[in-house]
Amino acid sequence: MDPFESIKATFFQECEELLTDMESGLLAMEQGDDDSETINAVFRAVHSVKGGAGAFGLEELIRFAHVFETVLDEMRSGKLHLTDEVAKVLLRASDVLADHVAAARSGGSVDEGRTVGMIADLQALIDQDRAAELGLNDDGDPNAGEEDFGFVPVVLSLDEPTADAPEVDVAALMAAAAAEPAEAANPVAAPGWRITFRPKAEMYAKANEAALVLRELARLGEVEVALDADAVPPLDQLSAEQAYLTWTIRLSGDKSEAEVREVFEFVEDDCELEVTREGETAAADVATPADDDASASAVEAAAAAPLDLDALLARVAGSAEEPAPPAAPEPVAAAPAAPPAPPAQAPANLDVVGLIALAEKASQDHAQTQAVAPKVEQKAEPKAEARASAGAPTAATPTIRVDLDRVDRLINAVGELVIQQAMLSQRVFESGLARSSDVALGLEDLELLTREIQDSVMAIRAQPVKSVFQRMPRLVREVADMVGKKVRLVMDGENTEVDKTVIERLSDPITHMLRNAIDHGLETPEEREAGGKAAEGTVRLAALHRGGRIVIEVQDDGRGINRPRVRGIAVSKGLIAEDAVLSDDEIDNLIFLPGFSTADVVSDISGRGVGMDVVKRSIQALGGRISITSEPGKGSKFSMSLPLTLAVLDGMVVSAADQTLVAPLSNIVESLTPRAEDVHLIGGRDAVICIRDTFVPLIDVGVALGFRDTPLPPASGVAVLVESEGGGKAALLVEAIQGQRQVVIKSLEANYQHIHGVAAATILGDGRVALILDVDALVTTSRRKAPRIEKRMAV
Amino acid sequence: MTDADANIAEVSLCPVLDLQAAEPLRAELMALRGRPLQIDASQVSRLGGLCLQVLLSARISWAEDGLPLRIEQASDGFLEQLAAFGAPQINFEPEGAHL
Repeated sequence: MDPFESIKATFFQECEELLTDMESGLLAMEQGDDDSETINAVFRAVHSVKGGAGAFGLEELIRFAHVFETVLDEMRSGKLHLTDEVAKVLLRASDVLADHVAAARSGGSVDEGRTVGMIADLQALIDQDRAAELGLNDDGDPNAGEEDFGFVPVVLSLDEPTADAPEVDVAALMAAAAAEPAEAANPVAAPGWRITFRPKAEMYAKANEAALVLRELARLGEVEVALDADAVPPLDQLSAEQAYLTWTIRLSGDKSEAEVREVFEFVEDDCELEVTREGETAAADVATPADDDASASAVEAAAAAPLDLDALLARVAGSAEEPAPPAAPEPVAAAPAAPPAPPAQAPANLDVVGLIALAEKASQDHAQTQAVAPKVEQKAEPKAEARASAGAPTAATPTIRVDLDRVDRLINAVGELVIQQAMLSQRVFESGLARSSDVALGLEDLELLTREIQDSVMAIRAQPVKSVFQRMPRLVREVADMVGKKVRLVMDGENTEVDKTVIERLSDPITHMLRNAIDHGLETPEEREAGGKAAEGTVRLAALHRGGRIVIEVQDDGRGINRPRVRGIAVSKGLIAEDAVLSDDEIDNLIFLPGFSTADVVSDISGRGVGMDVVKRSIQALGGRISITSEPGKGSKFSMSLPLTLAVLDGMVVSAADQTLVAPLSNIVESLTPRAEDVHLIGGRDAVICIRDTFVPLIDVGVALGFRDTPLPPASGVAVLVESEGGGKAALLVEAIQGQRQVVIKSLEANYQHIHGVAAATILGDGRVALILDVDALVTTSRRKAPRIEKRMAV
Repeated sequence: MTDADANIAEVSLCPVLDLQAAEPLRAELMALRGRPLQIDASQVSRLGGLCLQVLLSARISWAEDGLPLRIEQASDGFLEQLAAFGAPQINFEPEGAHL
């Protein structure tokens, strides 16, 4: 990959994390957390996104982030107070910011209308308090705010010294001069710039890097970089996060000052920066040697450009903090230079040298203040981070960022290793070696080790479902707004871990289930109040581990499933026979049938031609299952359970019709040899088996999968009792059970196509392909074939 | 091999020397004080300002001790970034000494 592209890719990865942090903080703020650390964390996230975007010239993103950041800055400084309304606007702004990041990443575009509207909303917040001071104008020019932050009035007061002059606020003057030294005295491009750049600790703490700034600068033209490391203390006195270095860069080329300053746009608050034109510097340099001629030329220079006084002061400000020798001579040179500017009005006692000395002291004080400030910030930061990662362990463990591709390759390789190990075991077994032989024992150890490696490798790819859950509050907000309902989303178990490949595919089903819960499940606020419920509905999204699988639940406290209506629709659409007798549970699960939609009016939200059957299919494609439980008037709960990984599975190896098949162990309840008297045929065709006084369908796997037409004779083979996710039981009739082993899953969909009743395939120890049974599909099919429900229900 | 050779401390820099790497690097180098130091920079892909400070600070400390400190097998990335920083001197050779 092109190095620039790879840096950009890293930026977007970081953006994801930053956006996540931002949203966590905003959600905390929505709950009333107006702690300055929380606000700071959000501000930092937005600021970092903006900073990174600046490096890649993502104008739209910068523009929006800037306005957003301005509002947060207002909050940080206590000018804007947190209210419900403010929190909501900020949350919506975070959504728009995420859109901008996504658009920048994919090269797409964002909804301009929405952005403009959002900017207007953000500005309205600012306007509440300090529109005038901020100067954010209506066209949303992001620079408008910044330009007005200067301390210009103070500088002006020095140009017209009056009796008040000695009382000038020197510290403010120094700050102004340092922030905007020699503001474009000559806008015409000149041969080069001399830039003094001294990062502060905050700059590094905000993950900005001097190296990047220098590199950006080098892109503008030829640079000569000189490093002043005199302030670096010996190792035992060094604080690793403090900043000690100063760079002086000579940049040649015809860039404007604005272009040079743009490089520092995102670090300017966190560094000391001085940009002077080479020519000007030269003039000042002429004045530096304190000989007779120099005084004269300095006077001339000052007379020619009286406004340069503040530039000079700015230089003093810069050099006063510099440990380098030029600090001393300069004020001497500046002293004779100053008086010519206001020769007439200057009161006799205006002691410029004294003023400069004062300025020096002030700037030193300023430097000391700054030396203290970073420490405070550094202390505050880890706490803020801990808050942002809500509930995560406080001691951060070191992590590395690895390409997913590399991990996938590793997992594939381990998968092959497992297969090879199984093949080797089989060969050894076939060769007739005793189980107690050294080779066989060694193989057992190898098997354990392989398993351990596999578990560890899978753990690398395991991630908390948080990354998916975190997108949901936004979805809920948007859907709730669209349908005019009040919804509170409660999330549980965000730290439940599951394989990355599963995570990626969780998003769609969860999105759909949430939409469905809000659109169909919850009542309108009026209906809820009429029914004695709180106007605000609650939707709970939870993740948990259960039985080696991950279970995702979406529960609402709405009206529940209207069973008579569901049944009526199913009948009218010909999905079930009119006289079918169904349990409540079966009626509820009718909504997963293809072609079923309960919404009378197809809405934009959940009825966009994608029914719950699609959700079900997509979950099944992941080896998962979905079910629903509902209580009229109290709400519904969707549960989907998915394997923790799509890479391996513990299975029972069975044979049917000369084929080797694998039944997932998680489905198997028990196995038994059927007795002839326990097997009964219903309607002369569908077999059931009596197991401990319960009849369950007996499915001949060889027939169900089409390997043969005639069923096994009763009382032969082995019946494996399995249970589907919905709780339905069935007995799978196979010819023999070969054993239990861990198999590596190879997707059939990816390599061939979906086959009903088959979940995936695997490669066995002898090198043959074995199909992995989709127990849920087999059981469901048998249930649908049950006599009272018409056969056309079968998929 | 001389006694001095046997006493040489070696440290290998990690690939990304950013904000997070600075304090660990400082601690690692502190632990090696009092011995000639050889720093392997062959893995470095990114050198940030804070870690540069640590290296420069180490140079000062090693110079105070009069012990040599030398960067070995610097990667191209390391050299390029060092150059971008204004090519500060990190190696330290006390007179008459050699690693």
